Amino acid sequence: MAADTIRALLEAAFPGGQVDVLDRTGGGDHFQVTVASAAFDGVSLVEQHRMVNRALAAPLADGTIHELRITTTKGTA
Amino acid sequence: MTLHDQIQQVIDDEPVAIFMKGTPERPACGNSLRAIQALWNAGAPITAVDILPDPAIRAELSAISDWPTIPQVFVKGELIGGADITEELFASGELGRKLDEALGADREQVVKTVAMAATAA
Repeated sequence: MAADTIRALLEAAFPGGQVDVLDRTGGGDHFQVTVASAAFDGVSLVEQHRMVNRALAAPLADGTIHELRITTTKGTA
Repeated sequence: MTLHDQIQQVIDDEPVAIFMKGTPERPACGNSLRAIQALWNAGAPITAVDILPDPAIRAELSAISDWPTIPQVFVKGELIGGADITEELFASGELGRKLDEALGADREQVVKTVAMAATAA
């Protein structure tokens, strides 16, 4: 399941963070990911999204993720 | 001019540039539509580049911007983000403030498209 892979990648990239992955369409390739992490503290919104995109570089590059929506929030150790 | 230089020129020279799938009149993707709507509602002038005609446009753009997905929105040469951030900044009012600061509050809202010329390199 792509959602499980995405969740695992995000949890590895943001240890201690809160990760939520939603398959928006049920088709297994349109995802909404929500990440709350202390790693975002003091980091611009653009850079926060870059961090999430980097964590998901492989599934983004190979087409596993066709569409990705990102919501990031700071804090939550 | 190389494709790289054409893209860089749009980013550098246009007050608000969006690289999108389709055109502002006919967005070919929900995220491109979301970003266009947020920009329009924030009163932004819009210079749009359709990335669909040539896969090389997207590859070159992402190499420049360090951003993997489409759309990508730039204000005065600076990447502000994709559809999610553009919507988020519009909803919070920050997009309007950013545009006021960069372009002035009495800016003209012109929408235009720029085509990338096919090129060998």
